[in-house]
Amino acid sequence: MSRVRRHADNPAHALPGDDPEHEPRARHGRAPDVMRLGGWTPMREHGEDEPVDFVIVGTGAGGGTLAAKLAEYGFSVVAMDAGPYWRPLEDFASDEMHQSKLYWTDDRIVDGENPLQLGANNSGKSVGGSTVHFAMVSLRFRPEWFKSRTLLGYGTDWPVDWREMWRYYDEVERVLAISGPLTYPWGPKRPRYPYRAHELNAAARVLARGAEAMGIAWTESPIATLSAPRGLAPPCVYRGFCTSGCSTNAKQSVLNTWLVRALAAGAEIRDLAMVGQVETGADGRATGVRYHREGRWRFQRARNVVVAGYAIETPRLLLNSASARHPDGLANSSGLVGRYLTVQANQAVWGTSAEEIRSYKAPPSLAISEHWNYEDHGKDYHGGWCYMAQGPLPTLWSSTLATGHDLWGDALVAEMQNYNHSVGLKNVGEYMPQARNGVTLADETDQYGLPIARVTYSWCDNDRAQNAHARAFMGEALAAADVRDIWEQTNDTCHLNGTCRMGDDPCTSVVDADCRSWDVDNLWVCDGSVFPTVGGVNPSLTIQAIACRTADRIRDMAARGELDRRARPPARERAR
Amino acid sequence: MPGATAMIAAGLGAGLAGWWLAARRRPARREPGTHRAARRLNEASALLGLSVMADSGLEHFRGEYHNRAMFAAPSVSGIQIGASALGAVSDPARWSTPHHAVQVASAATGVSGLAFHLWNVLRRPGGLSWQNLFYGAPVGAPFALTLAGTVGAAAEHVRGADPHHTRLLGRPAGPALAAGAAFGLGGTVAEAWLLHLRGAFHNPLMWLPVTVPPVTAALLARAAFVGRGRMPVTRRMLEATAALGFAGSAFHAFGVARNMGGWRNWSQNIQSGPPLPAPPSFTGMALAGLAALEMMEARNARD
Ligand SMILES: Cc1cc2nc3c(=O)[nH]c(=O)nc-3n(C[C@H](O)[C@H](O)[C@H](O)COP(=O)(O)OP(=O)(O)OC[C@H]3O[C@@H](n4cnc5c(N)ncnc54)[C@H](O)[C@@H]3O)c2cc1C
Ligand code: SF4
Repeated sequence: MSRVRRHADNPAHALPGDDPEHEPRARHGRAPDVMRLGGWTPMREHGEDEPVDFVIVGTGAGGGTLAAKLAEYGFSVVAMDAGPYWRPLEDFASDEMHQSKLYWTDDRIVDGENPLQLGANNSGKSVGGSTVHFAMVSLRFRPEWFKSRTLLGYGTDWPVDWREMWRYYDEVERVLAISGPLTYPWGPKRPRYPYRAHELNAAARVLARGAEAMGIAWTESPIATLSAPRGLAPPCVYRGFCTSGCSTNAKQSVLNTWLVRALAAGAEIRDLAMVGQVETGADGRATGVRYHREGRWRFQRARNVVVAGYAIETPRLLLNSASARHPDGLANSSGLVGRYLTVQANQAVWGTSAEEIRSYKAPPSLAISEHWNYEDHGKDYHGGWCYMAQGPLPTLWSSTLATGHDLWGDALVAEMQNYNHSVGLKNVGEYMPQARNGVTLADETDQYGLPIARVTYSWCDNDRAQNAHARAFMGEALAAADVRDIWEQTNDTCHLNGTCRMGDDPCTSVVDADCRSWDVDNLWVCDGSVFPTVGGVNPSLTIQAIACRTADRIRDMAARGELDRRARPPARERAR
Repeated sequence: MPGATAMIAAGLGAGLAGWWLAARRRPARREPGTHRAARRLNEASALLGLSVMADSGLEHFRGEYHNRAMFAAPSVSGIQIGASALGAVSDPARWSTPHHAVQVASAATGVSGLAFHLWNVLRRPGGLSWQNLFYGAPVGAPFALTLAGTVGAAAEHVRGADPHHTRLLGRPAGPALAAGAAFGLGGTVAEAWLLHLRGAFHNPLMWLPVTVPPVTAALLARAAFVGRGRMPVTRRMLEATAALGFAGSAFHAFGVARNMGGWRNWSQNIQSGPPLPAPPSFTGMALAGLAALEMMEARNARD
């Protein structure tokens, strides 16, 4: 062991010789092979003056998935990400503080009645996007949510059909080898999950006991980490660092699934490449992107530009790309770019259990109940929510106690002694889309000189009613599982969606069902920002399913020669 | 770890020594068929016991022996292996009674283990669910000890029986044993199927133990009820199943390597990876089946 220096958790790992946060790794015709220590994989490169078929901004759940599929369909693709190209086997330490390097922590301004906490819990800056540190819970929408206005009386309908989405969910679940229960208690029949559910940890067993006592169904969470080997990836080792980055590659993130495929299919990935503007030509169409890499601004020409920077950076980029032809920002003739930012509830109840819980063991959310996603009776509000077992690591737990439970000093230290017995339940709930919530540009600028995002958020009465119901129910469930000294955490939210919503009507949406902008027909948005409503489940599976669908649609449009021009003028132009 | 390692090493050593002795001891003159069958059955029983001892030793170590009863399986199977190994190599008459007692006690321990494991599964949240069948105490595993004891006890019965009219439980011994071995193989297949289902059959080779042995078991059951003359296909399948048992351990060694850190991290991975000692229980059952087949063929030849 003495011959190699220790860094990450596997004792055989040597320190990487380079610094991925300051020096790009994907260049000179090769990119990191994230599955092998020190490995490289060949990468096709494109000249900046050579217009590529697609430049994709952001390589997360939306952009990374799309890059793989489009490259496999034969398009030339350059995918850029402002974040580093991590090698999980070498770069990830068992240290929560150190791993904050995965978060998007550039300056942003938050305001509104319920300002969001941004960073760790909702945005990543890495090749692979937020999925590099996401919690891996991989859920399907309830079918009715795609038509929630028509069928459930709230929100907005999606312009896609649930049955079609169901097929794309199948595809993504296979690609990520989701581990899940053999039969799923809610919703229409779905195929068997590719891998079996993981063993429940103590926190998940508390959820199970509580749900059984409350007489509702629960199950093992479908989750994107392996319960058996797959290729070069080992099964999960239950080390519990998932939201700080998985150093074993058991987690099936975009980084070690879709992007491996993207490279193999000839896509180029540019890490540490911050896109500042999407540029447009005299005809108003996009010509490429201006981006910052290796110390200077550059320009990449492209026939199509896809923006996939997640629900804050995507509208920010579009607004920052305003020009004489597009004075209110790109794709913004509806005025909706940046509007309807919709996060999800993340209300929690916590308490103390007589039995040991040891929250650091295994992925945090191994058990789930979607009861209140599928049950509409007994609610005085719209929307659904699910709740899951939790597994905060010590640093996160101490900050939860400080900010959510007002403990400090000796009281905080004393409560931290109880860490191994602390247990809780947390929901993911459907907040209502509201036009007043959103992203605008602030006067301040970031390290690149680009105006930063101002993120405004306020709950509506419906959101508050749902929060109250969820906390009360989860509190009862926790008590029913013999957990004592229960308290409520009310200050958290999760996931960022909306801000470039899709729809059927150019006046009330930014992109169409194919994620193509109504205004600029070679500009696409493919990430969490296209969600018109958010449902009561975590979004990444749906984002990836939408990206798969978009790729198929683009392939079909290209085959019909419709990529260069929209087939039909949008409704508004026809009306004119 | 040293405890389990020592236990496994001791078990493997004892088993291999027994095997080697048994294999070496070629009869100087034609021994009666019953003795030969008894020896074979004892070998099968010792191998089954070995698999149980190593597997339960490892799994119960992983469970930190948090309940004292967890010592029962590895220790009883240890004694059982000794009895069977002795039965396989030494003069029968002197050992018959203690041997018999040990085998019956092992079979009984297996049955109580079964009850224990079932109780462990049922008391978990979710009760009789896939989650608990996958991750609770493996319901079928103690069954292997019952099989080991039963086969060992059968060996002693057969040895003492009339070579021309060997009977077990009032039935001709060959078919009775064949039916029992077919049933035992079926149980072993069920256990492998459950655990390979848990592993999502991620490697196509994982289908082997749930396809080959069931065919063998069916052929053996058929032989038990309507077998005539020589049965070469059944014999070949039994041999293939016996080989598969050992091959399974090699596959499992590969499976261990696919866990984080591979064999370098052996002390964790032999616990979290596929169980190395489990597959040879197929070999044990197949050997018992072969002994039964030989008896049947010998009887058919006489008839
Ligand atoms: C802690 C945490 C836990 C989560 N848990 C779950 C979960 O269990 N289940 C689930 O479904 N979802 C979960 N999520 C949410 C999920 O990760 C996101 O919804 C999803 O990754 C969003 O996909 P996206 O493509 O829209 O954006 P992202 O995946 O965030 O990707 C956007 C990428 O774009 C890059 N980018 C942005 N702007 C620019 C620019 N101008 N130039 C260059 N690059 C840019 C960013 O660096 C980033 O890498 C979790 C998120 C977090 C943070
Ligand atoms: S618990 Fe599993 S998925 Fe999470 S970090 Fe560890 S190995 Fe990765």
